[in-house]
Formats: sequence, C-alpha cells, structure tokens
Amino acid sequence: MAYAQPAPVLARIGEERSRVCSVTGLRVYAGPQALTLANAVAAVLALAAGGVFGIAMALTRAPSLELLGSKAYYAALTGHGVAALVLWPVFFEVAAMVFTSTVLLNVRAWSLKVGWASFALMVAGAGLLLGIVVAGHASVGFTAYPPLVAHQLFYLGYLVFAVGVLLAIVNFALTLVKARLEGAYAGTLPLLTYGVAVAAILALLAIVSGLVALVPAWLYSLGWIGSVEPIVYRGWFWGLGHTLQYVNVVAMVVAWYGIAALTLKAGPVNQKFTRFAFVLYVLLTVPVLGHHFLVDPGLSTDVKVVGGTLFGFGLGVPSLMHGLAVIGGSEARLRERGATGLFGWLRRVDYGNASIGALVCSLLLFAIGGWSGTVETTVQLNMLTHNTMWVPAHVHAIVVGGTTLAFMGFAYLLVPLLVRRQLWMPKLATAQAYLYGLGLLALVATQTWAGMLGIPRRVSRVDVGADPHSWRLPMDLMGAAASLAGLAGALFVVIMVMTLLRGKRTEDASLLAPSAERA
Amino acid sequence: MAAVESPVTAPAPGWGRRLPADERIFMWLVLASVVVMSAFTVGWLFLGRQNVPASFERTTPAAWGAKVSAFAAKYQRADGRVHVPPGKEAYMMALRYAFYPTLVLEAGHSYRLWISSEDVLHGFSVVGGGQNINLEVSPNHAYGATFTPAKPGRYLIVCNELCGLQHERMQGFIYVER
Repeated sequence: MAYAQPAPVLARIGEERSRVCSVTGLRVYAGPQALTLANAVAAVLALAAGGVFGIAMALTRAPSLELLGSKAYYAALTGHGVAALVLWPVFFEVAAMVFTSTVLLNVRAWSLKVGWASFALMVAGAGLLLGIVVAGHASVGFTAYPPLVAHQLFYLGYLVFAVGVLLAIVNFALTLVKARLEGAYAGTLPLLTYGVAVAAILALLAIVSGLVALVPAWLYSLGWIGSVEPIVYRGWFWGLGHTLQYVNVVAMVVAWYGIAALTLKAGPVNQKFTRFAFVLYVLLTVPVLGHHFLVDPGLSTDVKVVGGTLFGFGLGVPSLMHGLAVIGGSEARLRERGATGLFGWLRRVDYGNASIGALVCSLLLFAIGGWSGTVETTVQLNMLTHNTMWVPAHVHAIVVGGTTLAFMGFAYLLVPLLVRRQLWMPKLATAQAYLYGLGLLALVATQTWAGMLGIPRRVSRVDVGADPHSWRLPMDLMGAAASLAGLAGALFVVIMVMTLLRGKRTEDASLLAPSAERA
Repeated sequence: MAAVESPVTAPAPGWGRRLPADERIFMWLVLASVVVMSAFTVGWLFLGRQNVPASFERTTPAAWGAKVSAFAAKYQRADGRVHVPPGKEAYMMALRYAFYPTLVLEAGHSYRLWISSEDVLHGFSVVGGGQNINLEVSPNHAYGATFTPAKPGRYLIVCNELCGLQHERMQGFIYVER
C-alpha cells in the first residue's frame, strides 16, 4: 500500500516547538502552523466582507428591492471584486503555500520573520483597499480602468498587498530549497506541494504584470503622469487578473486532491498524468488573457482568435484531466477497498461528510463554469456575451462554485487539524456545503438567463431596457438566489469562527478528519 | 488501475513511465474535441454569418469630436435626430453619460457605424433585435461595425462598461424607419 507514512527527517532540525499530527503522521512546527492559521483567518474575514458587498449588490440589482443608491452600489461593486476575487483566495493560497512547503515536507519555514512580514503587508494592503472603498473614494470597479481614477491609496493598497504576496512566494520557494538541502525530499515534490508551486509560479507572473499596470495608474492618480492609455492598461491588468484566476483554479485543484486524500485516502491514479496537467496550466494560461480583448480595438482578429479562443480551448484540457484524476483516483481507492460493479464505488462515499459535499458541488459548478467560459471565449459568441450578465454567471460558477467551495471543503479539514479541535456542528457544515452549492447553481442559472437577454453587468439599475418588464424577473430571482448563497456563506464563517473558539479539543483522528468511506 | 498513491508524499520511483491506456485514450478524446472546436471557430470566420464585421483605427477625442459634430450638423433634422441616408457612414461619440447623436436609419439597409469615446472606456451594446454588436469603446480608437436593421423600430443601445457613478443611465436608441 503506497499510503505509507513519510520518513521522519528530524535529525537536522532545531529546537522549535513541534508536534506529530495524529491524523497524517506529519511533524507540524508551531511557527508555520500559526502563520498558516493567521492567513486562513484573514481569508475567512475577507470572504465575509466580500459576501456582504455581494449580497448588497444583488439586492440592489433586484428591481423589486433596489436596496442601495447608485453611488453606494458602485462602492459595493468595487469592494466585492477586491474582497471576494482578490483578498479571499490569495490569503487562502498563501496559507496553502506555508502549509504545503513546511508541514507536508516535515520542515520548518525558511524564515518565519519574512512570513510574518508578508502577512503584515498583505493585511495592511487589504486594509487600505477596503478602507478607501468603504469611504467611497474608489468606486471604479476592482479593475479600475483609467482614465477612471480612484484615490491614490487604492492603488497603494494593491501594491502593498502585492509586495506582501511576493514575499510569501519568495519564502515558499526558499523553503522548498531548504527542504531539498535538508534531504526532506528527493526527486520530485509531493503532489499537493507541486500543485501549489505551480500556483506560485502563476502568481509571480500575475504580480509582475500587475505592477506594470498599477504603478502607472498610481502615478496617474497622483497627477505625476498625464495619461494612461486605457487599452494598454487593460492588457497588463488582465495579465494580473486573468493569471490570478488560474492561481485560483490551480489552488482549487490542489484542494480537490487534499479533500479526496484526507476523507477517502485517495490520490491521483497516475502521478505523471496529473503533473503533466499542472504543467499545462503554466504553459497555456498567459496567452489566454487575450479572451478579455475579443471585442477591444487595438488587437488584430488573428491575435484574438489564436490567443483568446484557440489557447482558451486548450486551457480546458488540464482542468478536464484533473477532473478525471480526482474522481478516478477516488474510484480506484474505493475499488481497492472492495467496491464492485460499475458504480458501486459511488455508493461507498459518505455524502453526509461536509468536505465531500463541498467537493461534489465544486466539481459540478466548475464544470458548468468551464462550459460557459468556453462559450464566451469563442470569438463569435463573445460578441453576444461580452459584459453582459453572462460574464458574472461564468465567474461565479468558476471562482465561487469552483474555487470558494473547494476552499471551504478543505478549510473544514485544515482548520480542525491545525487547532486540534473538532469541526463545530459537522451536520450544519454539511448542510452549508449543499446549500451554498444550490444557491450558486440558482445564481448562475439566473445570471445566465439575464445574460442571454443582453442585460449588462455592473449597472446599479436595470429598469431601463427596451422591454424592461422582461428584465425584472431574472434579476429579482438573481437577488433571491444570491441571498440563499449569502446565507450559506455566512454559515461557513460562523462555523469556522465557532470551530476556532468552541470546537471540542481532541486528538482523535476520526473526529478531526472523519473518513468519508462507507462500509 | 495501479495502486493509488498519496498526494502528500513523494511518488514511488518509476512514476514517469508511459501513461496507462485509459489516460491515453482520455487525452486523445480531449485533444480531438479541442481540434474540432478550433476548426469550427476558425471555419466560421470564413463560412458563418455571425462574425461582426468590425474594424478600428486610431484617432483622438478632439479629432473624433470634430468629425461627429460635422456629420451631425449635416444630417440633423428638426426633430433633433440625425437621419442617415442609406449607404452613408455614421459617426457617433460615447461620452459620460450618453451616446451622441441619436440616429435614424432605414430598415433593410446596411450602415457602417463608427464610434469612439470622448472620456473613459464605454461599452456599445445593441440589445436584442437579432443584432450582435457589442463593443468596447475606448478613447483614441474608433470602432466601425456594420449594422443592418431588418425591421423598423427602436433599438436599445446600452453602455456595458463601468464608466462612472451614473453609468446605469448611459443608454440610447437607434430609430429604424421604413
């Protein structure tokens, strides 16, 4: 059985406080554990903020409610993008970087000081961003396309946050080098660490492109330079924004494997297949930023078709491969354990396990989002979907349905393991996972419907159409669906906070990471 | 299938061997679907009618403003709208928070509509009416698209790129007469 305990490599390691995990048998040092937890907590708080902004937006766009005025709406729109699309996933990914480079390799971090400095910078950047947005001085969308201009602190917030992430990547890379030198691993990395390393490479590319976009925009907001060419800014901005979404996708895949490993003891059926799929993300991601410019002036049709559309089709390949490997790996593991028949293994999964619920919903919603993304990356169809509600439908399926739900499912395992407390009200957590999945499915369905009617995204009011009556129903239903998803999102935050504060202290592996295998 | 390996430990030696048949078949199927989709998309550029025949050129807000003003003055009627004769090119400006001027076209004829922006990024989306014009309008670039309204009526145009605090008000109509 290949699921052996890793060989301990403690001889050359210093005196830092550590323990051996009762579930995984891995040695966990106090420093990286605290740093992982701090990043995970910041992530959950960012998600809470993003959720509040999101619900406020959805209830404003529901014509029967129109909760906020336009000014507050555009502030909430910006805050939602910043908190839910940037801060939440990136904090969680930095937590994953610390965790997979230290705990999984049985080593300490290269530098805890750099780790905490990175965390402090990210928190400071996040504070600047959200503060200036709430103050109403940055209602330009999280994309902040010039010549629209926000308060200079908004750009500074992005830059400070980016430097913090950069430090986290440096610390991650040097921890891998240190682990190698200490003999913690030879040959290749464990798969989860390998996947996070791929995410870190993409994050590095994203940050470089982001600096090229945001530094001039910051100087422009200060009045130090006279203008920023909007089409050029869009190019560099989406070098950041698009690549960052693939950091999220890669981290989501890592969370899928993590959930399958901890609940079913499943791994990929084939290591080479899986690693090849991760490498494809690195090779194919960057050119696909072209799909943001399919209806922009400035690029020739050839460039748009090759970069945006054809590479875009190719970028679906690694995601399909991982979908096969995660599900196939679980099937193979359950067959090893005695499942028979074509679908007998499906009956051996305990769907009442919260993390399994999140995994199932995440796989389904990510598949839906992948389909709608393939539709809109097609040069002809993009003309119909560009900047309509189709786009948020796609983004919510991918980033919320896919990434956020996978992170939630992984957090239900990671946080109890780190704090040695049982998940607070596990049945409620299961209900939360399915409720969130259902709410998002409804949200994505109504947004897709609205998109097909041509309803624009990012507007505070929709009672303006040629046939406004037909625009009311999908948008009202969208508000209802967002409320359902928002309720389930709030439940997640409550469960996490209560686990940290009130979860039952235990070292019992069956309580910390309950098996999802049914006899 | 081979024994399942843990993703949290390094793989067993020999993990780089040739992929088993089921993974290889899956890869070929996926690859085939990518090739088919690519062939359809590229083929449709030549065979289909869903492509928007759009082209663009560089300009400046000042130069474009002068062009639009001259065009509007030439064809404006007492109702304040600009009646474009069939076959003529039409020039428009997107600005916070309106599309200028309001055009009147004749049904069944093709028009070349040119649009640029005076200030920030805007969207130019013709909603419904069987049209597929949906463009990103930027200052310093003028976008031209062929518009062929089949039926008379009022065609809604909306800005779908966040352009400021009254973005939701930025809309207009193109009127099509018989």
